[in-house]
Amino acid sequence: MKKFIVLFVSLFIWTQGVNAEITRAKAEAFMSEIGEKVIYLLTDNSISDQERADQFREILETKFNVKAIAKFVLGRYWKQASEEEKERFLNLFTETTVASYATRFKEYTSERFDILGSRSESDEGVTVSTQIVRPNGPPIPIDWKIFEKNGEIRIYDVILEGISMSITQRSEYASVIQKGGGQIESLNLALEKKLMTPKK
Amino acid sequence: MKIFFTVLSLFHLMVAPAYSQEDGLSGSDTGKTLYVQEETLQPSSAVEDNDPFEPVNRVIFGLNDVLDTIIFDPISAVYTEVLPQVVREHIGYVLRNLSEPIVFANNILQGEMQDAEDTLRRFLINSTVGVAGIFDVSTSLDIPYKKEDFGLTLGRLGFGAGPYIVIPILGPSNLRDACGRIVDFAGDPINWVAYFADSIFYSNSRTSAQIIDAKSDSEIVADLKKNIDPYATFRTWYSERRKHLIAKGEHQTIDSPRPDDDD
Repeated sequence: MKKFIVLFVSLFIWTQGVNAEITRAKAEAFMSEIGEKVIYLLTDNSISDQERADQFREILETKFNVKAIAKFVLGRYWKQASEEEKERFLNLFTETTVASYATRFKEYTSERFDILGSRSESDEGVTVSTQIVRPNGPPIPIDWKIFEKNGEIRIYDVILEGISMSITQRSEYASVIQKGGGQIESLNLALEKKLMTPKK
Repeated sequence: MKIFFTVLSLFHLMVAPAYSQEDGLSGSDTGKTLYVQEETLQPSSAVEDNDPFEPVNRVIFGLNDVLDTIIFDPISAVYTEVLPQVVREHIGYVLRNLSEPIVFANNILQGEMQDAEDTLRRFLINSTVGVAGIFDVSTSLDIPYKKEDFGLTLGRLGFGAGPYIVIPILGPSNLRDACGRIVDFAGDPINWVAYFADSIFYSNSRTSAQIIDAKSDSEIVADLKKNIDPYATFRTWYSERRKHLIAKGEHQTIDSPRPDDDD
């Protein structure tokens, strides 16, 4: 009986694999290219902060589907927002993301980015598992959720040690909006304020 | 003397690397009834956090933050300054080695015999060849450390997380995991040895060492604190982390942004 189950399961996995093979290979190649770029940004100390931020913004805008992510993190408030508010939020969201990652990058020196594998998800996306190997401390496992739409491959979520950045961000933003009386504008103001405060 | 120990124990049971390694928060049901008027809007699952004690939790969270700033951050800073990274790493190994017996107990309770065997081997090898755990020989022998605690054991048995709780000093937890901590503490054989030997010194230094160890190497936690609403961020972070640990490597398709028609 057990053997049958094993056989069945492996058959299932195998056929699943065959169906999604191309996308998975593509997704891995896509991630590996980005990984190289990011590692270069991380380790090259000759790049100025401004340049690093600019390059990171470019990666964000061309390799991530920022709009879909912004929509997700606003959750139910997205529908409530006016076009103007949405646009403002999208800008602020991009800028705060760039700001927080660009400063984070600065702390790294000699990292390596490894692709560990990938799997097709039931929602037709592919999750690519990677890790950042650091000289000090254990490697950081990061998964990337990738979809292909209209021939464009984009990252839709970053999962750090099993925790989705989008889900974390969504509940934070929801909390900020709720405290602000359900107004998206209160979140926009908070993000704006955060951008204005100089980083420590 | 025993009373002193008891008080200390209460303090201690809450310790264990508080943030980064092991914590994650609560469930996903019930949630806020405060914002009822939203029936017209699309429901959005993860916005609901089981956090009926939010006002109290927020106060404790704030206090913890103050304590971190005035007590633990300076201690960590000195600790990080005085001891080189290598030394801190080995201190971490010693503390982790001392936690293996309770990990072993949880492996058994979960019926994970292979894990139990690995944990036992780790403990025996590291305590002897690794000189009282100073060297993590086992990891280089390909038996990596796998954290377990009673909260996770309960979670795998199907217990829900219960309401979210912020514990003074230690931070994020939930009803299930807080109970788990008490059981882990009470069941930890190393604590029993210390208890019968009346070794307050031991228990005291282990506690302090664990706090400092847990607080000094948590870049991710430091990053989360910079968010607009760190309280909400930590709540989700804790919850998702624990869910992930309970699922134990078993892959789950997480709800995520996805393409839709109008983008």
